[in-house]
Amino acid sequence: MIYGAWICLLSPLAAAGLITLADERISRRGAGYLATLSCFVAFGGAVASLVGLLERDGGQRTVVSTAWTWITGGSYRSGFAVIIDPLSVFMMLIVAGVGALIVAYSIGYMDGDNEERRYFAYMALFVFSMLLLVQGGNLILLLAGWGMVGLSSYLLIGFWQERPSAIAAAKKAFIMNAIGDATMALALFLLIQKAGSLEFGILGGQYSSTVANLVALGLLGGAVAKSAQLPLQTWLPDAMEGPTPVSALIHAATMVTAGVYLIVRTHAIFEQAPYVADLAAGLGAGTLLIAGLVALVQVDIKRVIAYSTMSQIGYMFVGVGLGAYANGMFHLMTHAFFKALLFLAAGIVIHALADEQDIRKMGGLRHLMPRTYLVFLIGSLALVGIFPLAGFFSKDSILAAALDRGAYGYVLWVAGLAGTFLTGLYTFRLLFVVFWGEPSPFVREHFHALKDDFVGLWLAVPVAILAVLSVLGGWIQWAPLWHPIDTWLQTVAEPTVSPKSWQEAVSSALALLLGLGGIYAAWLFYGVRRLAVPRFAFPQRVLEHKFYFDELYDALFYRPTVWAAKGFYRWIEEPLVDESSDSLGHDTRDLGRLVARAQTGLLRTYALAIASSVAVLAIVFVAVR
Amino acid sequence: MGPATTWYLGVAGFLFGVGALGVLIRRNPLIVLLSLEIMLNGANLALIAFARHLNNGDGQIFALAVMAVAASEVVVGLGLIVALNRKRVPLDVDRLSSLRG
Repeated sequence: MIYGAWICLLSPLAAAGLITLADERISRRGAGYLATLSCFVAFGGAVASLVGLLERDGGQRTVVSTAWTWITGGSYRSGFAVIIDPLSVFMMLIVAGVGALIVAYSIGYMDGDNEERRYFAYMALFVFSMLLLVQGGNLILLLAGWGMVGLSSYLLIGFWQERPSAIAAAKKAFIMNAIGDATMALALFLLIQKAGSLEFGILGGQYSSTVANLVALGLLGGAVAKSAQLPLQTWLPDAMEGPTPVSALIHAATMVTAGVYLIVRTHAIFEQAPYVADLAAGLGAGTLLIAGLVALVQVDIKRVIAYSTMSQIGYMFVGVGLGAYANGMFHLMTHAFFKALLFLAAGIVIHALADEQDIRKMGGLRHLMPRTYLVFLIGSLALVGIFPLAGFFSKDSILAAALDRGAYGYVLWVAGLAGTFLTGLYTFRLLFVVFWGEPSPFVREHFHALKDDFVGLWLAVPVAILAVLSVLGGWIQWAPLWHPIDTWLQTVAEPTVSPKSWQEAVSSALALLLGLGGIYAAWLFYGVRRLAVPRFAFPQRVLEHKFYFDELYDALFYRPTVWAAKGFYRWIEEPLVDESSDSLGHDTRDLGRLVARAQTGLLRTYALAIASSVAVLAIVFVAVR
Repeated sequence: MGPATTWYLGVAGFLFGVGALGVLIRRNPLIVLLSLEIMLNGANLALIAFARHLNNGDGQIFALAVMAVAASEVVVGLGLIVALNRKRVPLDVDRLSSLRG
């Protein structure tokens, strides 16, 4: 079991290192095979860990394996340790499993790209970083993994480095994430000061409410940055500049859900800071509504799915913020399946249309690519939460948990239900616009079907597996009938809410109805076009500007910084620093000119100077004696 | 016994002064070198006078060393003058003033 966990952690790192060192001695496809193989080996290691944990009793399912003492300073010490417990194994299985499928898909998607080796080295590095994040045996290792996923995300968003927009998006993502990293680091410093250690165990200790609130706030800052929640959400849509498999793996299935994992992992501190936990749930609810609304007007196929990702992570935040940890994690898992599926299917569409991502140019693809349509439909239905697909089971139990939480819970519940309607609307708007209707002129001109060749095969197989998972994955847990995930995660994070059966039933029914309502509305507007799409100038402009968050941050942070920098340059740098060093130089030169007059170049002056000085010295010598 | 040491020192000082004056006012490097030699000889005379006055041979040995150094210095100096002459540089120390600041 312990070896399994270490193999799981280190095999992607080994693949990344090998691909980097081998350089051109490994073929491009060879690099892809190596990265994929390493991810499958990691998945094997995760399964071995799972089997090892299953052999143990419920109470003894937490194993920490320390390789060596990593950091020592004063009385503080941290080991390089992996933690193997139900939560980390749960995440390992998702990261390595979905990761392996997406890396395999990349072999087809990136085939023929100039720098495939770099791509696969980055991908393997990302999988390693994510595994380090979820397996890190103490908070400092978690933070190390946290920073490294930020780095690999940066590298992969900016993978097409010749595109200025990709570079800008990569920088934006990195800076937004760095804000979160910084607040997290501050929280950890506070913990070191108060508890003297960063083992997970210390989170359960008793802290004054100020300390607990500050630590929880810092951790929440990291979580909202990584998971693209309000108010640090603006980087995720731009991150779609990266290759589509990257969007699927990092910006849908794994990295952006790290915030959810973090809250579950550190739930003890959030339970001591209930207001911060409520804040997390509130931010999640706000994000799920805002992202759902913005998704309605987006015209880039990947951006629609990106906003949907933010929205779904909003649901997870609502769940874990309310203390329904297992429900949040369950939604994380099903979301990884169907969102990766949607992204990869979108990747196939983009691939078939000569890299076009604008849905206004698409249409009528249903008959041209029926199998892609089928998997896209499965992914969309699972996303909206239609019985019996995956989203139905996981999303509804989060809503039920909200219902069990008093007045504040009702607010979140209503927001979540409204979000369900929006989900149905924007998801099927996308589906209808892209796949229904008559093929557009652009499609007629550029469409080329996927063949059953190398590329087609590597694209199709992972998508098919994810489609099966999106259909069946939800059946693992159907609260309240059976709930193995609740039981499995109970030893790590005991939920603080326990929704009753009627709450589950009401939530499920309403969410299903509203989801279907959203689909029906989308069908009317975009499917059969029976109703004209309503146009209101002002709301539409607000949505197209994504609620002006970018503009707001621009005005709040970017422009004042530029002004301040220009002011400093104008009023301090130029008059003080520049001028003073200039005049220092001028004065030195003038002084030099003055002294240089003594240097006549005439031998006799020098001789006279020497002779007269000697004479003066001799006289002084004689006189003083 | 010859004249008193004071006389020797007087002659030595006169020689040194004449040499120094020559170095300072003459423009021909050859004469400047010659004047230098006179200065050295003045110093030598003083050394030998003191050696005799104190009945100590050290001063004479020192004077011999000065002569050796003077001889080698003349070699270098005359070599330089010949080199200057061959480059058609005018033999005038006042015009060799490229070190002027």
